[in-house]
Amino acid sequence: MAAISEPVVANAARAQLWRPLLHTSARYRMVVALLAAVTLWGLFAWGYQLKTGIGVAGIRRPVFWAIYLVNFVFWIGISHAGTLISAILRLTDAGWRKPVTRAAEAITVFALMIGGMFPIIHLGRAWLFYWLFPYPTERLLWPNFRSPLLWDVTAISTYLTGSTIYLFLPLIPDVAALARHTTGWRRRVYRALSVGWTGSDREWHALEFAMKLMAGIILAVAVSVHTVVAWDFSMSIAPMWHSSIFGPYFVAGAIFSGIAALLIAMAVIRRTLHLEAYLTEHHFNNLSKLLLLMSLLWFYFTVAENLTAWYGNEPKEMAVFGARVRGPFAPYFWAMVICNFVVPFVLLGIRRLRTIRTATIASVCVLIGMWLERYLIIVPTLSYGRLAATWGKYAPTWVEISISAATFTTMALLYLIFAKLFPIIAIWEFETEVMEVSSVS
Amino acid sequence: MFLSAEFRAREQVVQAVRDLTAQGFVRDRLDLYSDEPVEMPAGVLPRRSYMSLGAVTGAVLLLLLTIGFVYFTQYNYPLVTGAMPIFSFWATGVIFYELTMLGAILTTFCWFLWESGVLRRKRRGPVPELKDGAILLRVECEGNQGETANRVLREAGAESVQELRA
Amino acid sequence: MSERTKHRWAMAIDLDRCTGCQACVAACHAENNLPLSDPESAAKGRAVHWIRVDRYYEGEFPEVKVKHMPVLCQQCDEAPCEPVCPVYATYQNAEGLNVQVYNRCVGTRYCGNNCPYSVRFFNWFDPVWPEPLQLQHNPDVSIRMGGVMEKCTFCIQRIKRAENDAKDEKRDVADGEIQPACAQSCPAEAMVFGDLNDPESKVSRMAGSGRSTRLLEELGTKPKVFYLQRGA
Repeated sequence: MAAISEPVVANAARAQLWRPLLHTSARYRMVVALLAAVTLWGLFAWGYQLKTGIGVAGIRRPVFWAIYLVNFVFWIGISHAGTLISAILRLTDAGWRKPVTRAAEAITVFALMIGGMFPIIHLGRAWLFYWLFPYPTERLLWPNFRSPLLWDVTAISTYLTGSTIYLFLPLIPDVAALARHTTGWRRRVYRALSVGWTGSDREWHALEFAMKLMAGIILAVAVSVHTVVAWDFSMSIAPMWHSSIFGPYFVAGAIFSGIAALLIAMAVIRRTLHLEAYLTEHHFNNLSKLLLLMSLLWFYFTVAENLTAWYGNEPKEMAVFGARVRGPFAPYFWAMVICNFVVPFVLLGIRRLRTIRTATIASVCVLIGMWLERYLIIVPTLSYGRLAATWGKYAPTWVEISISAATFTTMALLYLIFAKLFPIIAIWEFETEVMEVSSVS
Repeated sequence: MFLSAEFRAREQVVQAVRDLTAQGFVRDRLDLYSDEPVEMPAGVLPRRSYMSLGAVTGAVLLLLLTIGFVYFTQYNYPLVTGAMPIFSFWATGVIFYELTMLGAILTTFCWFLWESGVLRRKRRGPVPELKDGAILLRVECEGNQGETANRVLREAGAESVQELRA
Repeated sequence: MSERTKHRWAMAIDLDRCTGCQACVAACHAENNLPLSDPESAAKGRAVHWIRVDRYYEGEFPEVKVKHMPVLCQQCDEAPCEPVCPVYATYQNAEGLNVQVYNRCVGTRYCGNNCPYSVRFFNWFDPVWPEPLQLQHNPDVSIRMGGVMEKCTFCIQRIKRAENDAKDEKRDVADGEIQPACAQSCPAEAMVFGDLNDPESKVSRMAGSGRSTRLLEELGTKPKVFYLQRGA
């Protein structure tokens, strides 16, 4: 019986995990200021675009959609880090998930917020975005529920609601504990957020039951969300878009980039908050294997998509295919293959090379590769339409690049602020694991 | 009268709950308070939950509402597009699916708030203050049950037993 | 559409007559208040021409033959641009026209992507006309603001006027009474506009001719613009 030592272990863990909430270093402030500067620049660029017209972006006929939509698909993909991974691991009761889940769930919520902004940013009249919501209006007009964009609106709002609740539920015991141990404004905020949590076993029961249910529901929603994003493209009749493989291809790609984002976030958290004891080689090793698996799956889908197009040899599709693999888009295409397949396969497939450092490198490559993949799906198809007379080249402008860059800093900023306000590792889930381990020994 | 007993090990709590139930204490009057979840063996202090039933009901309800709403809006201002029928189950299936899920999510959340009792204004009896690493067992006693409860709790290994006051 | 309406407007273009003179393009600009573009924005693909003349080259140099094909909105019966619009800015009206309601458009540009003919145009900025060109605007056609889609309307303002005149005089619209700006200005008389519901109309007879084809017909969009050429 290790009955006496357990609280000590738990308290030590708590002290270390709470440290970043109560102390703010000068370095933290500097990083936040830097990120905020880039974010503000992005906001300025968006303001300029709103005032002048969407024409300040590089989009043109026939490339009506470009990197705003690339960012949209990319961030919605990243958002699959959290819910999918944490829900799968929760449902399969994988014990090693416990220090990972909150970091993943927070990625989901923030990535969704950012991704959800892009369909609005890319609108010609962005200030009228609410016309897509069904509400009684003096215009007597309801939205067209047959449009895939309406599917997007419902899918993303459902996913955002669900993943926010999914992040919030396991946070309740932590904020209740924080409310007990803090003073001043923190105590008031945490108390309010803890919605009257007393720690009774009825609450714990309800919480665990709700989490199990939510894990199941959120899995179903997450799969559907990225399928719907894929269907924005495959419901149209543009060459290489009108493809039945897009749904699963996008879902696999989303999980792939989601794991990569999670690995990067974990490496940064581990390094900056000195959580080497909690985020161990073991966690990185497991996630690396998952990343490797998804890399193989991604490669399989990519081969399936391109081989069928090439073998079918249909001229309109071949124009797009050719532009991708040997035309003007070839450098991006082969860079994507290297980033998404070659690098992860070598670095993570060979066991001796699989370390935290290489996993992080592979993850950065995967994020680049997945961004390129979305670019290669959207832009070549639109550049090479069905009538050769209308083909056209697209190049992004400073406005698009500024706004895209700002999304990455916004993500980092939101994440940093979240990690400052809430423990990034779910303490109560984690304590249970510590206790289980110590009572076994 | 409410008694609160402080335990350090789960096994002691299990013992205490078993003994109290044997002494005729109804399990609705026993509550555990802890800063981490306490796994109880099957049959000891079971808490029934209808949350999944609630989630399914909420899901079906919102599904039906959505179908009705979409049907209404499309005929309310009928416009034909691309040779599709004005109301199409196929083209709006995704919307129905997502709102079904939204129904399940929202009912699960509300059900959690209701079933856990966190939002309840009027609580039954005083709530003991949580202590780090401790498991508190609150017992609601009637009449002269207090003596028995106190004895059973101490025998089970409670570090201290106190009477809770509001 | 399946429901019988009085008119079903369509156009037939005889490619064997088309000389590629682009008079239709100029006429369309004048009639429909199309925004003008400078060479830079035209090079960026921002120029707006509701009707354009595509060129197809046959043979090897120096034995080259050029074929011209005026391409305007094909007014598809089963238009791919329509169901993807989330706000009903584009839909099928009762006379089979694929109409665009500028005020409803929020600018998702999905319709533009889904149009296989690339005949939809976007207003990237609020339009400006150099002085004094703003004085020659057609008062029957609205000016489109920045951020909305636009496209060929089959000169719906002329259709409506003819229909109203006919109603006032208690008669039917006569064949050939309505002429969109492009058809009116075509010196080769290659373009014919009319009612498909009238089997005796010129456009009906041309549509039924053995030379008649439709652009990208294999997509199942059922266009209402018919192209006539030899060997088809």
